[in-house]
Amino acid sequence: MSKEEMFKELSDAIVSCKQDLVLAVIEKAKSEGIAAPEIIEKGLAAGMNEVGIMFERGKLFLPHVMMASGAMEAGVKMLEDDMPTDAPSDKLGVIVNGTVEGDVHDIGKSIVSTMLQSSGFEVHDIGRDVPLQDFIAKIKETDANMVGMSALMTTTMPGQKEIIEMLKEQGLREKVKVMVGGAPATQAWADKIGADCYAENASEAVAKAKELLV
Amino acid sequence: MGMPISHIMTSGMSGIRAAGDLVARMEFSKSMRIGEAKDYVSKKLGVSTMDLSDEYVMRELREELGLGVITSVAGVPKGIAAKMNIEKLLDIKINSCEMFRNKIA
Amino acid sequence: MQKMLVKPLQKLRNSLSEVNTMTEYALRMGDGQRIFMTKEQILTDLQEGMADAADLGTIPDLSGDELDKLVDIITTSSRMVGVEPGMEVPVTHDISTIRIDGDQGNSGVGIPSSRLVGMMMHERAFGADTMELGHIDYSYKPVKPIISQEQQTMEVCQQNMIVPLLYGAMPNMGLYYTPDGPFPNPGDLMKSFKIKEAQEAMEGAAEHLTRDIVWIMQRMMASGADGINFDTIGAAGDGDMFASLHAIEQLRKEFPDIYIETGMAGELMLGLHGEMEYDGTVLAGLWPHEQAPLAAKAGSNVFGPVVNTNTSKSFAWNLGRAVTFIKEAVKASTIPCHVNMGMGVGGIPMLETPTIDAVSRASKAMVEIAGVDGI
Repeated sequence: MSKEEMFKELSDAIVSCKQDLVLAVIEKAKSEGIAAPEIIEKGLAAGMNEVGIMFERGKLFLPHVMMASGAMEAGVKMLEDDMPTDAPSDKLGVIVNGTVEGDVHDIGKSIVSTMLQSSGFEVHDIGRDVPLQDFIAKIKETDANMVGMSALMTTTMPGQKEIIEMLKEQGLREKVKVMVGGAPATQAWADKIGADCYAENASEAVAKAKELLV
Repeated sequence: MGMPISHIMTSGMSGIRAAGDLVARMEFSKSMRIGEAKDYVSKKLGVSTMDLSDEYVMRELREELGLGVITSVAGVPKGIAAKMNIEKLLDIKINSCEMFRNKIA
Repeated sequence: MQKMLVKPLQKLRNSLSEVNTMTEYALRMGDGQRIFMTKEQILTDLQEGMADAADLGTIPDLSGDELDKLVDIITTSSRMVGVEPGMEVPVTHDISTIRIDGDQGNSGVGIPSSRLVGMMMHERAFGADTMELGHIDYSYKPVKPIISQEQQTMEVCQQNMIVPLLYGAMPNMGLYYTPDGPFPNPGDLMKSFKIKEAQEAMEGAAEHLTRDIVWIMQRMMASGADGINFDTIGAAGDGDMFASLHAIEQLRKEFPDIYIETGMAGELMLGLHGEMEYDGTVLAGLWPHEQAPLAAKAGSNVFGPVVNTNTSKSFAWNLGRAVTFIKEAVKASTIPCHVNMGMGVGGIPMLETPTIDAVSRASKAMVEIAGVDGI
């Protein structure tokens, strides 16, 4: 079996959301001599990308995303011993994600957290109606390299701008990438307040996070 | 406010200014699609379907039939009274009119 | 002499045709910003938006004539357009009078006025065909403690108004999860891989939501309401839709003549649970043309499909996409379809003051091409 076919089989196993199948295909890939980093990046991670796309298209649902994510975690754990000793951490980045102060909307932000987590980021979801300074505190605590801020009302959107100003004041702006989202947010708004990116939906959030951090 | 007003100006039947509320009642009370609802109401009123959005036709007709008019003319049926006339015209029951009847001796 | 003029005339026609192709027309981005595009660019965007909808929903493309008509609507050189005489439709409303007296910073203009005054303004000043009574915390769960206030207001409004007057709010099933409600937050459970527990939380919340909606409407109907409007069904996922459909079913049984308007939250029913069904159909993953028959089956009178606007795409892209989805929903539905056309939906740009030029064009397109029964 060619390498490409093997990667496809790994990806399909993730999309099937079946942990046993994923582990079995990983064994097969190992026996064919494929290196662990390639199995993860070109097989399993590619499968998770596909899962994200299928979720946005309504072909897979959140429980599937979590099952696929669980299968991926199990697969990565299985390959731990085979990873080169100088391999970078398996996490793609550390992200603090929350809904800004005064805004109690939660669901969209939670879906983004879930998708980021299942795509390989370490995600600290700090909830909704989060005081602005708590974003900064959590970023420092977790040594995060990205912050995601959701706002679903035009009255709470300015909180996103304030957090960016606070990052600058604390000397963190260069180190921490900023992503904004939520129904009234737009790319124009992101540009205006100096955010690094705007994400229209959960899949886009994953893609943009990867672009900025990986 | 610009948005709902824009919709009404572009596409709306304009409510009690013409016959929009009557057509809406048939859509809701009998799940009639727009064509059927307009046909039904226009037959009951004795006008064409095009007249249903025509203020010139509907103004006088509404006043004549006591269906409620958009300007606050003294003595013209309003509120429950107008709706009772609408019930008779369209051969439907309106809940607020039922509640009203239940409360009078 | 005539033969001598043929070639130059043809050359002139070709030049004019080139100029025509290069002429730019003003339209909007999905966030409302003004942009300029040629007719060809507009058509390309319409086709791409349409193709996106057709691909996602596995539904037909619009016809060539329909696309041409959309181009004509978009490129009309006037601020507002209008439907052809005779094609007018009822315009129904949600968010009640919040747009007048509300002070939330995004929907309301903050004019202090009673709800009765706001209602009558809609009926008598704005030409609304129906109206809705709702309260500032516009979800069903918060109505329970203030039910008497809502009932009294409905009674007074019904005494004074003529247009159909519904009671409306959002199902907003998220309010039933901690910290606002009794059930654990399924988002948190999912992230901890407690999928079964998350699903159980959604099922429990759905039961409570159905119960609350029915309880509230029993009282509102006793106060003379014409019926109920559901605003943004599915905002909290498939469980939210499950709860709403069951509430509709129960209300229809108890009140055979109740008016029920079923407005959705988005074109795709988000599968947060993934396995909840109604009438043997899994709710997760449903598109508007698949949602409509279920709304009818449950007992709705009017279905309100929604297509969300992508703020990074042009008005043409968004309108092509929205019209494609809605046209199919209208076709699949057995009950009237009143397409949702508030800010950020139905092709309309997402901003607090949606631009009149875009609203007008989207409105006309939905009536004349998608064939909606109302807006």
